[in-house]
Amino acid sequence: MAHAYEELLSFDVSALGEKLKAKAISPVELTEAYLDRIQRTDAKLRAYITVTADLARKSARKAEHEIVAGKWRGPFHGIPIGLKDLCYTKGIATTGGSKILGAFKPAHDCTVWTRLARAGAILLGKLNLHEFAYGITSSNPHWGFVRNPYNLERIPGGSSGGSAAAIVARSAAATIGTDTGGSIRIPAALCGCVGLKPTWSRVSRYGVLPLAYTMDHVGPITRSVRDAALMLNVIAGHDRNDSTSSRERVSDYTEKLDSPIAGMKIGIVRELTDNLSPDVQKSFDNAALQLRALGAAVDEVTIPSLPLSGVINGIVTWAEATEIHRQWMATQPQDYGDDVRRLLEVGMMIPAGAYVRAQRARARVLAEAMDALGDRDVLIAPGAAVAAPRIGESRRFDSDGGGIDVLAGILRFTQPFDVTGQPAIAIPTGLSADSLPLSMQIIGRPFAEATVLQVASAYEKARGALPAPPLIQEG
Amino acid sequence: MPLVTPETVKRTLKDLYDYDIDESSASRVANTAGAMLTLAEQLGSLGLDGIEPPFGYANLMTEAMRKAAKR
Repeated sequence: MAHAYEELLSFDVSALGEKLKAKAISPVELTEAYLDRIQRTDAKLRAYITVTADLARKSARKAEHEIVAGKWRGPFHGIPIGLKDLCYTKGIATTGGSKILGAFKPAHDCTVWTRLARAGAILLGKLNLHEFAYGITSSNPHWGFVRNPYNLERIPGGSSGGSAAAIVARSAAATIGTDTGGSIRIPAALCGCVGLKPTWSRVSRYGVLPLAYTMDHVGPITRSVRDAALMLNVIAGHDRNDSTSSRERVSDYTEKLDSPIAGMKIGIVRELTDNLSPDVQKSFDNAALQLRALGAAVDEVTIPSLPLSGVINGIVTWAEATEIHRQWMATQPQDYGDDVRRLLEVGMMIPAGAYVRAQRARARVLAEAMDALGDRDVLIAPGAAVAAPRIGESRRFDSDGGGIDVLAGILRFTQPFDVTGQPAIAIPTGLSADSLPLSMQIIGRPFAEATVLQVASAYEKARGALPAPPLIQEG
Repeated sequence: MPLVTPETVKRTLKDLYDYDIDESSASRVANTAGAMLTLAEQLGSLGLDGIEPPFGYANLMTEAMRKAAKR
């Protein structure tokens, strides 16, 4: 029997916003639907670290009063969302997925939450992640292993694993993630939802626990491309509390979502087309065909230095994370999970010269990426080489006995665009033979999020809906 | 490949960070760091002559002004 709230939970933010504005649904009822959903799914999923039920109900009543009084604030007014637990929330536990910050309650909000709260969003809670965002499995030793809604024995990806799992399990209408080596796009790819890493500096990092200052991006994880655009409309823009945030003009990111892509030029990144699983290869080829069918000209491009992006991303992240964690590593190293502590120990061995060289090399990779774009509008690549690995799986062997490091095989698709800081979106392309989500990335010029979203939206409409995960079908 | 030994790891972490690490962990860290430093050498082959590090004086000034204003 279908649950009473199922229909409410089936709408994306775009549809909910219209219904809330028209007073066809109530923020109070909607929030109760999401809290009920969390209650029913999260023991299995472990997407949440903290559920802020009382605050959510209070905010929902306030939103209802305002909307009834004709004071509708916009598409996020009355929308229940979740924040990755790296995002500061005043007076609410912000753990970073760690034991070290298990009791930490910030004295202020991060800018992203300040803007979403001002837009009328309702906070359902704080979402689980890989400890301190330093890893891509979200197998968190302190707060539980986050599970993939399509298969509970598989990882959701990470580090924003809870943010993507909650979207796909329908236990949040929209969420915030962060991306330093792929932590928005990887979980979106493995869980089957949309993850947008905006241009570096497009969204303020103020009040977001850093992993690597010069490589951290904050962005939306959502059910649809339109939702990602709506969320970016709220969170993008200069922030005086983040001196690195850009003063580049913020456009209406929904403006081009219904524009055709016929005549646009799209380049497939050659360096990211090898060593794909057969399912990924087939799904990506079909996506490229679909883009051609929509009238885009698709050809192949090359970014020769791209294979060194993993080294650049690794060295910069190692060095910066080690500085950020220096004090805790000196006083309580035993409180880190083994994998994160080891990464921080490696970081302590990175010479200053290697760090500076890696930073300089970023300009080389970006220059080549811009050359590859040339007169093209966007680039495309698979979201990952494989579908979601099993929890604990680190190597995968083929029939010839050859093996690949599955986690490195996932990271190499996303790290390059953290190195270059370009906007990149992960969007589902279908399901594998094992019924696991597969994904494509669309990458644009710096600050050309609107174009990336335009192509993603056209593809999403042509692709049609994906089958829901078993967790939803079971109710 | 640059030689990073477990002993180097143990001494560096102790001397510079006042941090102790056991032998097997030191070996793993040494292997990973050594491999990474070898790859880091390859970055020089990208042709980095004339490329400055991405340092922004405007950001430095903004940070300084922000901190000064809070005093």
